[in-house]
Amino acid sequence: MNKVAWLLCVAVSVSAAGVAAGEKPAPTRADALKDPVLKAMLTELDRNVSQLQLPGSQKPYFIQYRIEDVEEYSARAEFGAEEGAGHAHHRVAVVTVRVGDRKSDSSGGAADGTVEQACLSEDEIALRSVLWAASDQAYKMALAVYAQKQAALKQVQTPPQADDFSEEKPLIALSARGKLDVGSVPWPERMMHASGLYRAAEPVKLAGGVVESSHAEFHARALTTWLVNSEGTVVRKGANTFEEEIAVSTQADDGMRLARSYTSAGTALSDLDAQDVFENHVASLLGSLGDLRSALLVEEEYHGPVLLSGDASADTLRTLLGGVTAMRPRMGTEARTMGAFASSYHARVLPESLEVVDDPSLKSYSGKGLVGAYDVDDEGVPAETVKLVEGGRLQSYLIGREPVRDFPRSNGHGRAAMMSAPHPGLSVLKVTARDGMTDEALKQRLLEMAKDRGLDHVYCVETLGGVRSPRLLYRVGADGKRTLVRGAVLADLDQRALRSSVEAAGKDLWVANYVEDVPITVLAPALLMDDVTVKRANDKNAKLPFYPAPK
Amino acid sequence: MPRKSFLSLRRYAPQTAAVFLLAVSVSLPVAHAAEPAPPLLDAMSAELERAFALLGHPVAKSDAGKQQPPYFLSYTVHDAQTVAISAQYGAVTSNSGSHVRSADVQVRVGSAQLDNTHGDHRATAVHTVRLPLGDNREAFQRMLWVATNAGYGAALDNFLRVKTEAEVRAKEEDTSADFSQEKPQTHVEKPAAPLQMDRVAWEKRVVALSRVLREYPDVYASQAMLGVQNVTTYFASSEGPRIVTPNRSANLVVLAVTRADDGMDLFQVRTFQAETVDGLPAQAEMEQSVRQMAAQLVALKKAPVTEPFDGPAILSGRAAAVFFHEVLGHRLEGQRQRGDREGQTFTKELGKLVLPEFISVADDPTQTTFGNVALNGHYSFDSEGQPAQRVQLIDKGVLKTFLMSRMPIASFANSNGHGRAQAGHMPNGRQGNLLVTSTKTVPEAELRTQLIEEAKRQGKLYGLYFEDISSGFTLTQRALPQAFQVIPLVVKRVYVDGRPDELVRGVNIVGTPLAAMKKILVTGDKQELFNGICGAESGQVPVSAVAPALLLSELETQRQPQGSARPPILPIPQPTATEGTKDQGNVAAQPQSKQEAK
Repeated sequence: MNKVAWLLCVAVSVSAAGVAAGEKPAPTRADALKDPVLKAMLTELDRNVSQLQLPGSQKPYFIQYRIEDVEEYSARAEFGAEEGAGHAHHRVAVVTVRVGDRKSDSSGGAADGTVEQACLSEDEIALRSVLWAASDQAYKMALAVYAQKQAALKQVQTPPQADDFSEEKPLIALSARGKLDVGSVPWPERMMHASGLYRAAEPVKLAGGVVESSHAEFHARALTTWLVNSEGTVVRKGANTFEEEIAVSTQADDGMRLARSYTSAGTALSDLDAQDVFENHVASLLGSLGDLRSALLVEEEYHGPVLLSGDASADTLRTLLGGVTAMRPRMGTEARTMGAFASSYHARVLPESLEVVDDPSLKSYSGKGLVGAYDVDDEGVPAETVKLVEGGRLQSYLIGREPVRDFPRSNGHGRAAMMSAPHPGLSVLKVTARDGMTDEALKQRLLEMAKDRGLDHVYCVETLGGVRSPRLLYRVGADGKRTLVRGAVLADLDQRALRSSVEAAGKDLWVANYVEDVPITVLAPALLMDDVTVKRANDKNAKLPFYPAPK
Repeated sequence: MPRKSFLSLRRYAPQTAAVFLLAVSVSLPVAHAAEPAPPLLDAMSAELERAFALLGHPVAKSDAGKQQPPYFLSYTVHDAQTVAISAQYGAVTSNSGSHVRSADVQVRVGSAQLDNTHGDHRATAVHTVRLPLGDNREAFQRMLWVATNAGYGAALDNFLRVKTEAEVRAKEEDTSADFSQEKPQTHVEKPAAPLQMDRVAWEKRVVALSRVLREYPDVYASQAMLGVQNVTTYFASSEGPRIVTPNRSANLVVLAVTRADDGMDLFQVRTFQAETVDGLPAQAEMEQSVRQMAAQLVALKKAPVTEPFDGPAILSGRAAAVFFHEVLGHRLEGQRQRGDREGQTFTKELGKLVLPEFISVADDPTQTTFGNVALNGHYSFDSEGQPAQRVQLIDKGVLKTFLMSRMPIASFANSNGHGRAQAGHMPNGRQGNLLVTSTKTVPEAELRTQLIEEAKRQGKLYGLYFEDISSGFTLTQRALPQAFQVIPLVVKRVYVDGRPDELVRGVNIVGTPLAAMKKILVTGDKQELFNGICGAESGQVPVSAVAPALLLSELETQRQPQGSARPPILPIPQPTATEGTKDQGNVAAQPQSKQEAK
């Protein structure tokens, strides 16, 4: 794109904060140039847009620079002793160059981004040099990939079902950088204390067992992202996450590994538990290790009603609904997208009473910061609230700038992990039920189902470890008595179960913040499932310790 | 939940730079007879004794009593404080410090004759865990208990495999035991002092070194890296030794990369090393050295490409040191003389002439300095708790012995203090300070005259002068060709007709090791030092090599394989006239350059 076109593009800009619209004038490119990082990026972008071309080859039609700055602090402790604490600060540049045109370009393979380490200071020449080196490499790679792709397209009869790259309005959005502030809490000491609680608990709570790991970790991360592209988009955004975690484990007398963990997470320090609250959770985890050691092994196999707590339901829904994304299908096929919902557009995927939205603009819920929220995605597209499931039917997909059939535009869900190309993904997934029930009512309904079917017991999942591995699973007798069991795995808990086996759902939503490379939040009700299989996991039982633990 | 690190960025780096020889230094041995045992060593000893007494004996509610007890157990704890500062394109990219402790637990089950480390299982005998900092004895012991259990379980499993394999395979050529008998040592020094340095000031210095390279637009990529370490190693085993040794090092490496118009990647490296950062050269001296390096790299970019060559050559002392380390040193490691996957180049050569009679080679980790430079390969105790020893490997051309760890071989049953390993690895026989000496020497100028004469005698237009070479790799395994490779960085043609020397690029040394070693005609009269870090099966260990310049009657070279990628299309960004002389961080205030849209 030449300079004139570039200027014409810079027509639309929106206020960064969204909420401040109407109060502050929309930021301009001149505002962006006051940020030294953006100035370096725009200077080098302009130079590459106008000059980057190999003689005899085509010019790029799109160039994008994304710089990510991560400042982190972590403090770790094991068995009551500090393992280390410290700060880290890194910056990386991810450069995307596309050749060809929107209809068919170099994307979809090795040319999706060149990653370089960038400098931490605001030295313009150093920042530009990194972008220069990455642009050169990305452009040469794009030319090679484009040639291969055009050749490959000639090998298939069915043409691509959608364009390669969507057209989006340029956006100028400048919000605050991420900020690392871990407050005045002495985190190493706090982690030492939390991980040392096993000492008092072991003799009284572990039912003769020995704690084999007790690891506590605090982690704070401030992420600043700068993004500019040849269409005129200029974005600066920040995100902070905080996480405090404890993980403990032991073995049962038959060698089965028993592990529990607890995480308190959010977007501000104030979202984390107070120390006494966190340590009460630690104590309860340690107590549950003892309970699990004494717990009975689950029976061979069970088919019937299972109540998933909000916690277990959030994990399950995240896994089962994570595939509602629009991904470019394999070349030469007529598929719309990939994954479990590839052919589910407008089909029923949930009971009619459940609704699902993915709402990146939902920044807090019940007073708690949601880590999955954002204003602008990692492709410089404003976040949109997407109604995924209405009346039980799939109404839309989460999509970035790679169109699929019937979805020519991004809905602001292009999300990128550090150093990676963006992919469509969940942000704040909110699942709600019409006529949701209280926890008490759900438990009552569970017992009624047992009675209706003549079952002498049913199951209730409190927490999950792996996707289908309950860590706390209760067998509930006809009288409502709960008995902890261990060694189980869930089966038949899949998309089909979501469609046809949800009997009822809770009215309160559990907030699950997943602080990962791409942070996600799931707001989920408890789910009462009509027919789920509970059976023995039959994992390998490790040897017990060969000699007693030190006193 | 473990968090993914994002430090391992793929960088623009020359394909050939597989191993950098970096610099590390040295702790001077201090007699500390009355040094009190640190709490960490106490806790290690206590848990070691407890584990050794209890393992293999019945435990309530378990069937452990049926297991065979270990016959050897050792704990090695590495306490490493490090600072790493790096810069590229004239600005800082990281400045981080860390303090990490890790414990390597080695468990041996069976007997010294046949144990769980036999054959391919050697690496499985080490189990590594992270240990807490501070002095919390209870936490140390709990973590060592966890690691010992895991290590013992793996040892039992591997010993079972060893026994099964022994039953089905043919008799081995070398029937030596798996572990030697050695006298336990006690040597407790004071742990290394906390690493204290002015990170802000050093960041400025590293950035300044990187910024020098901005003066050279042909330098496409670069890195300036400062690594500082204060490490204390604690060792205890069931045989009774208790050893604590500190080690400090500071190294600064500057790497510059370019690409010739034909696509050949070229690089140059400068390293500076000292025991602590305070011992590194003055800033002006380092900047001058980086300028010379950059100028040489730019000259190389324009230099003609080498032709395949087989004729006389001089290796400078520094180049010869690397040559001996790669070609000879690695093949004299004890474990390479045993096992059917090893090439065993020198196994049957004991007592025979393997080098010209005027060359002798020793490895002496006890030597601390060469001139006034600290030797990287110095240590007082090896990774198996054995005292370092000077070993005369080759005496007047005759092979006398090998570099021995506690893994015996047919010809030698004992360690000679060369069992070395990086944290997390099983020790093997490795080099420390390899010292090459000669009794047939001429002054350097005379060496050059003799090169020209030899080239004339062979009817060549020129001989080659290898001024500087970087590390290569040595293929000693049978499945791979018996060839060595080093990476010549600066090579010149010395013409017989008196023309000025000519820099050439793309030179690779090829050939078979034994043949190359025997072609030495004469050596220079002064030795030069190469300090580096060497990688092999037992990890990366600091090494040194010292050698005189060599005149070889015949050295075969070929053109190095090159990339086909073009040099960058646009020139590297340059400061505009208005900001060229300004310092960093001022860009926001600068007027926009002409390229910017208004």
